[in-house]
Amino acid sequence: MTIKEKGYSHWEGELAEKKLPWWPITRFGIRSTFRKKFFKFFFFGALLPAVVFLVGIYISERLEDFRFMIRNQTNFLTVDPGYFKSYFTGDFLLFMMVAILVFCGSGLISDDLKHNSLQLYFSRPLKKGQYFLGKASVIFFFLFLVTLVPGLVFFIMKLIFAGNFKFFASYPWLPLSIIGYSVLVTLFFALYTLFLSSLSKNRRYVSILIFAVYIFSDIIFGIFYGIFRSPYFALISLKVNLQQIGAFIFNQKLPYSIPWIYSFLIIFSISLLAAVYLKNKVKEVTIIK
Amino acid sequence: MISIDKKSAAAFLDSIGKSFSFFFFLGKKVNRTKVFILISFLPVIMAAIIKCIQYFNKNYWLEDLSVFSNIIIFFYLQFLILILALFFGSSISSEEIEGKTLTYLTTRPIPKSALILGKYSAYALLIILMVNIGVILSFAVLNIDHLLDFPRYKILLRDMGVLTLGLICYTSFFAFIGTFLKKSILFGLIFSFGWENIIQYFPGSTQRFTIVHYLKSLLPQPVRGRFSFLLFRLEPSSTGTAIMMLLLITAVFLGLACLVFSQKEYILED
Amino acid sequence: MNPVIEVKNLSKWYGNVLGLNDVTLQIEPGITGLLGPNGAGKSTFLKLITGQIIPKIGTVSIKGKKVRNNYPLFREIGYCPEQDSFYEELTGKEFLLRLLSLFPYSPPEAEAKAEQALEIVELTKEKDRVIKAYSRGMRQRIKFAQAIAHDPEILVLDEPLSGLDPLGRRKIIRLIKEYQKKGKTIIVSSHILPEIEAMTKTIILIHQGKVFAQGDIHYIRDLIDTHPHIVSVKCDQPRLLAEKFIHEDFVLNVKFSPAEDSLLVETDNRDKFFSLLPSLFIENKIEVQEITSPDDNLQAVFDYLVGK
Repeated sequence: MTIKEKGYSHWEGELAEKKLPWWPITRFGIRSTFRKKFFKFFFFGALLPAVVFLVGIYISERLEDFRFMIRNQTNFLTVDPGYFKSYFTGDFLLFMMVAILVFCGSGLISDDLKHNSLQLYFSRPLKKGQYFLGKASVIFFFLFLVTLVPGLVFFIMKLIFAGNFKFFASYPWLPLSIIGYSVLVTLFFALYTLFLSSLSKNRRYVSILIFAVYIFSDIIFGIFYGIFRSPYFALISLKVNLQQIGAFIFNQKLPYSIPWIYSFLIIFSISLLAAVYLKNKVKEVTIIK
Repeated sequence: MISIDKKSAAAFLDSIGKSFSFFFFLGKKVNRTKVFILISFLPVIMAAIIKCIQYFNKNYWLEDLSVFSNIIIFFYLQFLILILALFFGSSISSEEIEGKTLTYLTTRPIPKSALILGKYSAYALLIILMVNIGVILSFAVLNIDHLLDFPRYKILLRDMGVLTLGLICYTSFFAFIGTFLKKSILFGLIFSFGWENIIQYFPGSTQRFTIVHYLKSLLPQPVRGRFSFLLFRLEPSSTGTAIMMLLLITAVFLGLACLVFSQKEYILED
Repeated sequence: MNPVIEVKNLSKWYGNVLGLNDVTLQIEPGITGLLGPNGAGKSTFLKLITGQIIPKIGTVSIKGKKVRNNYPLFREIGYCPEQDSFYEELTGKEFLLRLLSLFPYSPPEAEAKAEQALEIVELTKEKDRVIKAYSRGMRQRIKFAQAIAHDPEILVLDEPLSGLDPLGRRKIIRLIKEYQKKGKTIIVSSHILPEIEAMTKTIILIHQGKVFAQGDIHYIRDLIDTHPHIVSVKCDQPRLLAEKFIHEDFVLNVKFSPAEDSLLVETDNRDKFFSLLPSLFIENKIEVQEITSPDDNLQAVFDYLVGK
C-alpha cells in the first residue's frame, strides 16, 4: 500500500518571526541558574578579584594617602595593560569561570537530550543557530559579568579617579583589548561547555567533564614541563593557552617562550571542532516536502 | 540467639552480594564507564610519551622509578582517584534518584543498607580495577628495561595499595555526600580541588582533616630536590595511624550513607 | 473478607502542597480502581502504600505489617511506577533478570521467571534489544513485566495503561483480570473512567487529596446519572427537536449552539432522555449527525461531587 496523500499541508505564508527568538531560552537559563543553591555565593566569589583590582586602581591614584600601607611596594599598583592582563589571565579568575560553567552550562544541552525536548524547541519558529545562540548567551551573560564588565569598569574608573584622559591617550587600544579578550575567552568557554554538555544526557557527568578536562590539561602540562622544561608542552594546557593569548592581546611578555599564534590555533581548533560536533549532534526537525 | 544472628548476618551478606552483582554488571555496561576507563589510562600514554622522549633524547634522563612514584602515582593520587571516586561514589544514590530508578530497587526484598553497600562495593571494585590496571601498565612502560628487577615490584604493590585505600576511602565519603546532598558533584569538586588541595599544606594538625594527608603519609618521603614539592609541608602520621584513619573514615561514611539512605525520603521529581 | 491493605488517617504534603488528606480505607483482594484526575493524589497514595514516601500523619499496613523499610514484605508486592524511567543501557531481559536477582531465587529460577514475564507481556522477540531502543508501548510493557515477574500477591499499578495502543491496553486489562482470578490484590490507578470500568466494579474516587467515594462503580454511575447532564445533538432540524423535548419533565433546559446546527439539552435523567431520543428521530425524520456529552467525563463528576 502506498500513502498517496500527506495528512498535512505546508504553510506557504511568511512567518512573522520574533526579533530575538532565542531570548526566552537565555532568560530561562539565567533565571534557573540564579535559582540554584550556592550559585550566588560562587558568583560573588568570582567577582572578588574584580573588587580587589578596583580597589587597587583607586589606591594607585591615591598613593600618597596609602603610603603607610604599601611603603615602597608600588610596582604591583602600576595600572597599565599588564595590570589588566593580570586580572584577565589570573588562575583564580579562570578557575572561578570554570566553576560558573559547571553551574550554568552543564545542563544546557544535556537536560534537553535527557528530556527529549529538542523537538519542542524546533517545533517552534526557532532555527538551530538561534537555539545555540540562546544557550550560549546564558554563558555569555555570566562570563561577561566577570570579564568584559569589570574590565570596562576598571578602565572607566581609572579615567574617573585620574580626572584626566592621560591613561586613555597612552593606551587607546586597551578598551579593544578588553573587549577582544573577553569575547574570545567567553566564546571559547561557551563552545567548550556546549560541546561537553551535548556529550551526555547526564548532567553530573558533564559537570565532572567540564572541570576535569580543564584541570587535567593543566596537570599534564605541569608534569611534562616539570620533567622536560620544554615550553611547547604549554600547548596542552587550556589555561596556559588562554594566558598566552591574553598576554599577546594586552601587549605583554608571553608567559612561555612560544609564539602566541600556536595557542590561538589550539583554542581556535578546539572551538571549531566543538562547533562542528554541535552542528551535527543537535538535529532540527526535518520538513519533508 | 547467636544462630539467629548468624543467619541474619548471612542473609544480609547475601543481599549485599546480590546488590553487588547487579551493579557490577550495570557498571560494566554503561558507556560512561568506558570513558572513565580511557581517562584512567591516560597516565599510561603519559608514561609512554615520557619514555619515548627519554629514549630519543638522553639529556632528559630520569630514573624510571622516580618518574613512576613521583609523577604517575601523584597524578593518580591528587587528581584521578578523586575524579573517579567523586563520580562513582556520588552516583551510588544520586543516579538512582535523578534517573528515577530508585523505585525499582526499594520495592525489592532487600535492605536499603545492603543496596548501598553492594553498589558501593561494585563501583569501588570497578574503579580500583581501572586505576590499578592503569598503574600496572604505566609501571610496565616506564620500567620496560627492568621488568625482571623484582624488588621494584614492591614499590608497585605499595603504590597500588595506597591508591586502593584512597579509592575506597574517597568513594565512601562521596557515597555519603550523594545520599545527603542534591548537588553532590559541586560539593565534591569543591572538596576535592579546594579543601583537599589547600588544607593538606596547612601546618600542624590542620592537615590531618584531609584524607590525602593519610594517603601521603603512606608514601616514602622523597629526598630533597626536584620532586620534594610533592610532599611539601607534609607532617606525616605513622603508617599504622594512617591506615587506621583511612579505614575508620571509610567505615564511618559508609555507615552514615546507609543510615541516611534508609531513613531519608527521596521525592522523585518530574 | 480481611483487608489486605489498611490505611488510617493518611496525610501527606510536600511543603505547602497537599498530596493526600486524612485518608482512611481498607482494600480487599480483587481489583480496586483508583480513579481521579491528574494531580488528585493517586500516585502519592500508591507511593505511600508501597513505602516510597513517608506519611506526615497516619499509618499504612499491608497484611497487618508496616510497609516502609519492611523489605521482606516486597516479596509479595509488585509495583509498576508511573514514571518512564529505566536502566536504559540494559536489554529488556537483562532488566528483568537483574531485578529478579535481588529476590531469593537461584539463577535458573530467575531466568525462567524473566522469560515467563517477557512472554506474558509479549516482548520475547524484543528481549535482547536495549531498553533505550524500545517504543513507548514496549517500555510500558517491560515496566509491567518487572512488577509481575516474581508473581506477587499484591500488584500496585500506577497508570499501567498510559502510552499503550488499544490492543496493548486490552492485553494488559486481560492480564490484570487473570490475576484477579488467582485471588490476588490489585490496585490500578487511572484518570480515565472507561479504563477502570473495563477492569473492575470496585473503585476509590480520589480528588484534591481526598477520597470522595469508595465502593461499587454503579454508585458513581448513579451520581453521574442524577446530576444534570448536558447532551449535544447535531442534526438537520434542531428547532423541531427542541420543540419535542421542551414538554418533557426530565428536560431542564434547551439551548442552541451559536451556529444553530446543534441542540444542547440539559437533563436530570439520562436514561429517560436516551430512550426517548431514537423514537423522536424516527417519528420526525430528523437526520442526526452527531450526539455528544460535553460534560460526560470524570471532571464533571468531580465538579458535581465537590459542588461546583
